[in-house]
Amino acid sequence: MFAIIAAKDIRELARDGRLLWAGGLVVVLMLVALAAGWNRQVQLNGERSAGQALDYDAWLHQGYRHPHDAAEQGMHVFKPEPPLGVFDPGIGPFVGSTVWLQAHRQSEVKFRPAQDATGLQRFGELSPAWLLQVLLPLLIIIIGFNALSGERERGTLRQLLSLGVPARSLLLGKAAALASCAGLLIAPVGVGFAVFLVARLPASERLDVVYRIGWLAAGYGFYLGFFVFLTLAVSALVRSSRAALVILLGFWVAATLIAPRTASEAVSMLHPTPSRLAFDDHLSHDIADAAGKAWAAHFGARSQWDASLPLSKWGAALKVDDEAGYGALDDNFGALWDTFERQQRAQEWVGLVAPVVALRGFSMGLTGTDFSQHRDFSTAAETQRRKIQDIVSEDLVEHADPLGNAHFTYKAGPELWATVPPFKYQLPSVSFALAHHWTSLALLAVLFCLSVALARYAVSRPLMR
Amino acid sequence: MTLVKSRPLSALSLIVRHEARILVRDRTLPLVCCLLVLMVSYGLFVGLAQATLRERMVAQVLKHEQETQTANTGTLQSALAGRSALVPFSNPANPAAMAGTLAGRFATIPNAPLAAMAIGQSDMMPNYYRISYLSKVQFMYDTEIENPWNLLSGHFDLAFVIVFVLPLLVTTLGYNLLSAEREHGTLRMLCSQPLSVATLLTGKIIVRMLALLAIAVPLPLIVLLLIRPETRGAEQLGLMLSWSALITAYTLFWFAVAALVNATGLSSSTNALIMVALWTTFVLILPVTMNLVVGLVSPAPSRTELASRTRVATAESLREFENLYSADYRYASDPEALLVKGERIEVPSRMRAFFLAKQKVDETIEPLLERFDHQLLQQQRLVDRLSLLSPAILVNEALNSIAGTDSRRFVAFKDQTEAFHERWRRYFSPRILESRAMTVQDLSSLPQWHWIEIPASETRSSIWWRTALMLALAFMVGGVALARSSRGSAGF
Repeated sequence: MFAIIAAKDIRELARDGRLLWAGGLVVVLMLVALAAGWNRQVQLNGERSAGQALDYDAWLHQGYRHPHDAAEQGMHVFKPEPPLGVFDPGIGPFVGSTVWLQAHRQSEVKFRPAQDATGLQRFGELSPAWLLQVLLPLLIIIIGFNALSGERERGTLRQLLSLGVPARSLLLGKAAALASCAGLLIAPVGVGFAVFLVARLPASERLDVVYRIGWLAAGYGFYLGFFVFLTLAVSALVRSSRAALVILLGFWVAATLIAPRTASEAVSMLHPTPSRLAFDDHLSHDIADAAGKAWAAHFGARSQWDASLPLSKWGAALKVDDEAGYGALDDNFGALWDTFERQQRAQEWVGLVAPVVALRGFSMGLTGTDFSQHRDFSTAAETQRRKIQDIVSEDLVEHADPLGNAHFTYKAGPELWATVPPFKYQLPSVSFALAHHWTSLALLAVLFCLSVALARYAVSRPLMR
Repeated sequence: MTLVKSRPLSALSLIVRHEARILVRDRTLPLVCCLLVLMVSYGLFVGLAQATLRERMVAQVLKHEQETQTANTGTLQSALAGRSALVPFSNPANPAAMAGTLAGRFATIPNAPLAAMAIGQSDMMPNYYRISYLSKVQFMYDTEIENPWNLLSGHFDLAFVIVFVLPLLVTTLGYNLLSAEREHGTLRMLCSQPLSVATLLTGKIIVRMLALLAIAVPLPLIVLLLIRPETRGAEQLGLMLSWSALITAYTLFWFAVAALVNATGLSSSTNALIMVALWTTFVLILPVTMNLVVGLVSPAPSRTELASRTRVATAESLREFENLYSADYRYASDPEALLVKGERIEVPSRMRAFFLAKQKVDETIEPLLERFDHQLLQQQRLVDRLSLLSPAILVNEALNSIAGTDSRRFVAFKDQTEAFHERWRRYFSPRILESRAMTVQDLSSLPQWHWIEIPASETRSSIWWRTALMLALAFMVGGVALARSSRGSAGF
């Protein structure tokens, strides 16, 4: 029975102009977004891996030089774009991708694309994820708001019920029609893109990406399913199609546009982000503190330039100084990043009323463009910097310190440079993302079940009022 | 309705009065107005909080600068008097130390007086730079710390309420201007009166528009005038006037669209759908699509290239000043060498090398940076042209420029900072090269930073032509709507 209802509804929707126009627009936008995103990603990844290789090569062939000056030149490492970044750029535009690994400076990830963009960037980025998160629910509402109320207004509901159609079949049929319309729009493009993407990946990364795609499909399925059943529930509950439309549009505006902004405002007040000045001050204070203690413990000196610390101990002092700083850097950056993560976790609760917030976090997590994975890269880059720094200091202690005041005349050669390994960063696997984001998925599943329950309640009430 | 006379003006005022009464009684208008009051207040609150935050930051930076200056003067005096031991990197008599680690100099941009009205780019662009002899690439790309998730979500500020939410409220009030009358069967009756549909439509719109504008325009202005004394100047009042005009024009545009949709004679539900589709197109789809188009037509400069070129320039400068870098270094064991002798001081050769190397890096990288700036300028020009396609972009850009949080002001800040950085270096360059010691007088006459506000006339003209354009658009759409409705195609 429900298949007949679904078939009839799909035919009706196909003949209606709404689906054709709105759906066509969504598909065109999706194709444009995918093409542009793919183009951008190929270019960026090519540029970055070439840049990184060039920098490492220059490091190896820098000739004879004081190791500390070599660390001054340092090298750049770049964050690779995850393969699914085309689907959801996530926080990508608002974080940098370039780290200059130099001596004595925590490697901060620089060059946010949004800084180079115009004010238009703040309206949002056209990506397939944005289309699915914002526009597709609107499309579902537009084609489905009168699914049940329309039948009642036209008097066909009376006929249907007189035929003995069970309310459950009616609901399932209507839901199947709505879902398959939405599915017809996104599935061909989605599957086509997924196959194209997976086929172009090296075999070792394929399985991970396939898992990611599977989880993403589940998340988006719950989200869109939520809107399908919510639309039907409202359509069955209210008196007229007009009222159903107004209520659903109101919910859409509030949940997809207003809630995310309000949530991030509220959370910033709850867990305030420090200003750069305050952060920098605190960090330098902590580093100075730690270094002071380390000098006192190792050399009995109060400062780096104490007379009791001759240049014959400069390398050793540098090493102690750096190592003392590591803890302070870890603490300060760790606290800042924890604040960011706390802010995001607090917002996940808003997902209870605005599912888009939960989905957004889940989507960028599974795509690999969320903050936890950015943090993972930053940590890896900093580890590489410390590796360089430690190698340099060791060498200074061994070779330059014995030279006394001629410390800076010491020059290391290619053998030392070659001991620094190239920076190889492995994107975290899907389990890393799931561990961070399973709560969002659970939330989406709960919301989906709630909307199904609401819809069942709505059709179980007497439909003829 | 029997009271309607043939004069259109009295008919209009009758409709206005009648319509106002209905809207108040069926509670739509009070509800929408309450919502608007809430949102405008919250938006303004968020804007004020952000503006205060930024003000505090600048104040903190200036305090920091003052403290460093006092500390430097103190250290210098006690060092000259031989009271404290000298350390090469923190000796204020040493010009290279003063130019670098001890500088404590900042370039700051104050909030524009109306900053609370739109957050714009101010949450992302830095409002201060730390000035020292470091290369531009090292400090010009520092940004304010903010959770990227929040930057992605955007702020709930007044500009958001106006650009995104106000048209939706217009839609709520205006999607069934005529269609409801038709569906209730009252349109036929109205048309039997000596009353044109155009007058009816105008009257209905006037009531709704006045109600919305009576909240959206005066509420933020009054609050700002009351709690922010700096907004009371003549220039600010002028800006507020243009702000009001802009918002009126934008609201009028959306009501004109509603009138046009109603004049097609479709049902209320269809009207609502069309209005939402238009809103989605103008406010959501066009801006993000244009963002994409701008990125394709005029791509942002490649920062990877900048990174690689910086590294090459750094390596070259290290090679060029190789001898200075590797000179003997005896200051740790011979602190006497750091004393001021006459008016001279020995600048450690490594410190001299740092200064020269950074300067060299900037000289080498300058053409590339200029090309990048040019590219960004091209991008902005393209946006200015494309913004004509979507009223939302047009209004958003204008709102930001009234609040002084648009990218133009931040670009000006960056340019002025670069010039100041250059001046800072030029001041120290001869002192470092000739080993001239810094004196107490020198410390108080270091180059000072002054922000020069971008000319108000430029902002004013750009806002007024946008407003004029918006009004022209509104009148065009409205004209078509009234013409259609009086041709009887309202379909009763």
